[in-house]
Amino acid sequence: MGIRFQNVAKAFGDTKVVDDLSLEIADGEFVVLLGPSGCGKTTTLRMLAGLETVSSGEIYIGDQRINDVPTQQRDLAMVFQSYALYPHMSIAENIAYPLRVRKLPRDEREKRVASVAKLLEIESLLDRKPRQLSGGERQRVALARAIVREPRAYLMDEPLSNLDARLRVQMRGELKRLQHQLGTTTIYVTHDQAEAMTLASRVAVMKKGRLQQFDTPLNIYNRPANRFVAEFVGSPSMNFVEGTIDRGTFVGAEIKFPVNRSGGHVTMGIRPEHIHVLTQPQDDAIPAKVYVTELMGNETFVFLTVGPHKLIARAPADFRAEVESTVWLRLEVEKAHFFPKEKSTDYPE
Amino acid sequence: MSHGRTRITRTTVLLVALVAALTPVYWMITISLKIESDQFAYPPKWFSFTPTLQHYYDAFVTRSFAQYLLTSAIVAVVSTACALVIGTLAAYALTRFRLPYNLDRKLSLWILSTRMFPAIVTAVPLFLMMRDLRLLNTKASLIVVYTAFNLPFVVWMMRGFFAEVPRDLEEAALVDGDSRLGALVRVVLPLVSPGLAATAVFCLIVSWNEFLFALVLTQTDAAMTLPVGIAGRVTQYEIKWGVMSAAGAVAMMPILVFALAMQRYLVRGLSLGAVKG
Repeated sequence: MGIRFQNVAKAFGDTKVVDDLSLEIADGEFVVLLGPSGCGKTTTLRMLAGLETVSSGEIYIGDQRINDVPTQQRDLAMVFQSYALYPHMSIAENIAYPLRVRKLPRDEREKRVASVAKLLEIESLLDRKPRQLSGGERQRVALARAIVREPRAYLMDEPLSNLDARLRVQMRGELKRLQHQLGTTTIYVTHDQAEAMTLASRVAVMKKGRLQQFDTPLNIYNRPANRFVAEFVGSPSMNFVEGTIDRGTFVGAEIKFPVNRSGGHVTMGIRPEHIHVLTQPQDDAIPAKVYVTELMGNETFVFLTVGPHKLIARAPADFRAEVESTVWLRLEVEKAHFFPKEKSTDYPE
Repeated sequence: MSHGRTRITRTTVLLVALVAALTPVYWMITISLKIESDQFAYPPKWFSFTPTLQHYYDAFVTRSFAQYLLTSAIVAVVSTACALVIGTLAAYALTRFRLPYNLDRKLSLWILSTRMFPAIVTAVPLFLMMRDLRLLNTKASLIVVYTAFNLPFVVWMMRGFFAEVPRDLEEAALVDGDSRLGALVRVVLPLVSPGLAATAVFCLIVSWNEFLFALVLTQTDAAMTLPVGIAGRVTQYEIKWGVMSAAGAVAMMPILVFALAMQRYLVRGLSLGAVKG
């Protein structure tokens, strides 16, 4: 079901945790709330779940205003970061809990538990207790408990953060597949931009309680609304160079290229893949010094210094350069981003 | 070698403690089984005497000790149950809900402070209140008083146990569609059950042994509890050591059995929170 936040705010005492948040989430969408810790994303999710009260503004599920609806009547399912499995119940009892509370007859409960267990391949675990399970298995059980009934939406609070890297990537894929299969609106909180990019149909980037941008992963990556979004999304991070635009030319220390926009103080941003490192001088190429190179296997990250600036570029895996050697950079200037230096769209620091 | 020596020291200390603790109990039990002339024999007859059940017969058949026992049991069990139900709910609310002006903390301390004055201070006011309520010489009066007296203990014990339960679990239960009370009963209470058991044992012991209020509030055979009944055998003219010991030996049993049955939980309950499960 669709979910709508309308000018929602949350304050703990004098601290504003979420500030004037408006989001409209369509039915069946997979929306990721992305941001650094303390940005209000978890609080937002908890307000939706009814675990925190809303200080001001309105939250709707479908057409129902849910501000004052108690948690248990909101008909949502949530996966907690800690999984929150009931330690004294068997896995089967854990998964059946939402059904038991709803007083479904026993045979119906067993049938649904069995089918969910099959879907998540945890049939062999049903008689065990949570403490006998590995992290990945617990994660599956928490998911199973969420999908055993058909809630209006799934809420997930960093569900993959307690898994090791390999398992995380695997579960990420399965989660995406599962959501595709079920088609239920999902709101997913994470600070991991890779999770956000891979899972989301749309990403809401938050910082210090404020929504920075709400768009598709591709647009978030290619057209970041401000410097914060540009910096937070993408790995390695975007390069930034302070400068001015004067008579159609961007001028930073040692970096200069023509641009097609109006002037003033700006921060130019360019992603590492849009800097090409050349070992021979070329027209318009900018000389730079190699600070260090990191071979990642399939590519090489080249850390560079250009005057006062430190830049990162992506190069092919076979790129070789000595530390402190001189290289030349060609920027894909048409891919560069410019952010006003005042950061007017940004939350004041 | 030093390992063996610590072991010997430890065993010796334990033995001394055990003898010190158990000698009075042993003495009480033997007195209850001795005829009166053996009770005061000198040198004392530790092991060799002719056992008799006469005192038990005197206490529980001729006199009203069976009645006292029943009264004690009813009062102790009902007051413990009341204190556990009320105290657990109060403790849960005090740990989980933030009240304005830090009232949750202040209330907790206030509840604790009711344990800080000596019980005797409340004896006279309680007597007057019970008289006006026409509850003197009733089990109800003792149940009310014991419940009130155990409540702070239950609240503070259970507060500690509840604080150990991760909030996520209850929140998960709420999102799964359960009510607050449902989450408490189905998720939280099973997790704190060892603590609950330990608390129950202590409440029961306190209520079972309580003497002061029982003495002040009850005078009739119908309402008298075992401790008061036993003490009543110390009269102006004689002290019925045999009867008192017999009643004492019997009075000890229920608590002993209950504590043994709960032993597994007791240890876990008292160390709950020391080790994260």
